Amino acid sequence: MIKADSSSKPEAAFVLLGMQSLFWFIAAISSAPFVLAGEYAMGALVVVTLLLALATCLLGIGVLWRRRKARGFAIALEVVCLFGAALLLLIPIGANHGPVSLMVNIALPIAVIVLLRKDPRESFS
Amino acid sequence: MFDISPDHAIGLYAGLAALPVALLALRLRPSRRAVPGTVLGASVLMAMAGAIHLGLVWTHLGETITAALFVMNGLAYIALSQAFTWRWWRIASASLITMTLLGYLGYIILGFDTPDQVALATKLIELTALGLVLVPVRGEQRLRRWRWGTLGVAVPFLTVLSLSVVWIDDLARPDAEHVHAGAVLQATNDVATPEQVAAAQRLYDATATAIAPYRDWHAAWAAGFRPGGPENMPSTHWMNQRNVDAGYVMDPRHPQGLVYANTKHGPVLIGAMFQMQHIGQFGPDPGGPLTSWHQHENICFTPFGFEFSFMTPTATCPLGAIDISASPMLHVWIVDNPGGRFAVDIDDKVVRRIDQG
Repeated sequence: MIKADSSSKPEAAFVLLGMQSLFWFIAAISSAPFVLAGEYAMGALVVVTLLLALATCLLGIGVLWRRRKARGFAIALEVVCLFGAALLLLIPIGANHGPVSLMVNIALPIAVIVLLRKDPRESFS
Repeated sequence: MFDISPDHAIGLYAGLAALPVALLALRLRPSRRAVPGTVLGASVLMAMAGAIHLGLVWTHLGETITAALFVMNGLAYIALSQAFTWRWWRIASASLITMTLLGYLGYIILGFDTPDQVALATKLIELTALGLVLVPVRGEQRLRRWRWGTLGVAVPFLTVLSLSVVWIDDLARPDAEHVHAGAVLQATNDVATPEQVAAAQRLYDATATAIAPYRDWHAAWAAGFRPGGPENMPSTHWMNQRNVDAGYVMDPRHPQGLVYANTKHGPVLIGAMFQMQHIGQFGPDPGGPLTSWHQHENICFTPFGFEFSFMTPTATCPLGAIDISASPMLHVWIVDNPGGRFAVDIDDKVVRRIDQG
């Protein structure tokens, strides 16, 4: 029998934030060849996205350690992501609306927000 | 990769239908209180993955081995989703998920299957389930160090590996309608008829004649064409917003864009571009397969420098770029292009030759 003495929501949120961090890492790395081809503005985006991936990973660790600030920043990050994704869903620019896009850009941020919302059993410090 | 294969769609429905059933099944299990929430989350995700695999059996009955693997995989997932109090549950679940992921990648590499949205969604569900299976929660002491180590290595490694294999396969082995990365070709007949060959020739002649005055880029500028995107690339599209807004359809006298090679002698005209106004609305195709239009989909566009990159299989763009599609377009190349007069792209060697000349 596997027993636990406290809520495991931060651990679940850590896993999801880790996945999200990996997705951004891959997006940054895969755009790097375009910089070599002469798209220099893309270089700045690659660096910023790598920093975002790192920040998301660190937020995940902060959430795992039950840091209140990390929880707040993680929720704020997911709200911004959700707002951006909703905007892309609504405006007719031909953004991808496939199941993977919905899972990664809508379901994942919602899941993180739900997992990190205030829980009396959980003590963030 | 960004489409749903018709024979896989049923898997998606099965997975979605399994979600409420799995949640209900958990509520009926008193033993759910004895395990952490991460285990329950993994249980639900594995039940969904199992349902997807079982759902795919019906559309793969003609492929005996694949169907048998789907049955075994689906049943194993569902059994493990309910056996979360079993002592060896974590090892068994992690092993099953890892083997399923590697098995799928083997199928893709060997060419037995092509990646689609259902497969990608399933892999993401499995990877998340793997993370939840492995992550230790507070108070758990059993194999804690081993689990952290495995989580830190296996999940990132399998995620990067899965997405890389899927993406490389998609780029290396595109289907008939995706001959160019990010571009979807208009569906046409396979071989051009003599009438279509003649019509393509007429379109080429009319366009080459109509855009001849724009060999002098000053004339193009005066007519309202403006370069877009970085000018350090081999070629640049010069767009005419007036022609775009007017909605001319394949009118050689009013092309929506011109394409110039960026050479050390200045811009050299290499072609014209017709573009439709709306996404998904392909234009007239007088030359059949010779003049099929193409639509760029799933590209990441950044307003900073008007630059592009490809969207990842997880539908992610770099920060500052957004995922867009460009309405259908047709190029007419007035220089000798190895890919053809109406090819999606100009060959870089052609541009280099012009630059050197």
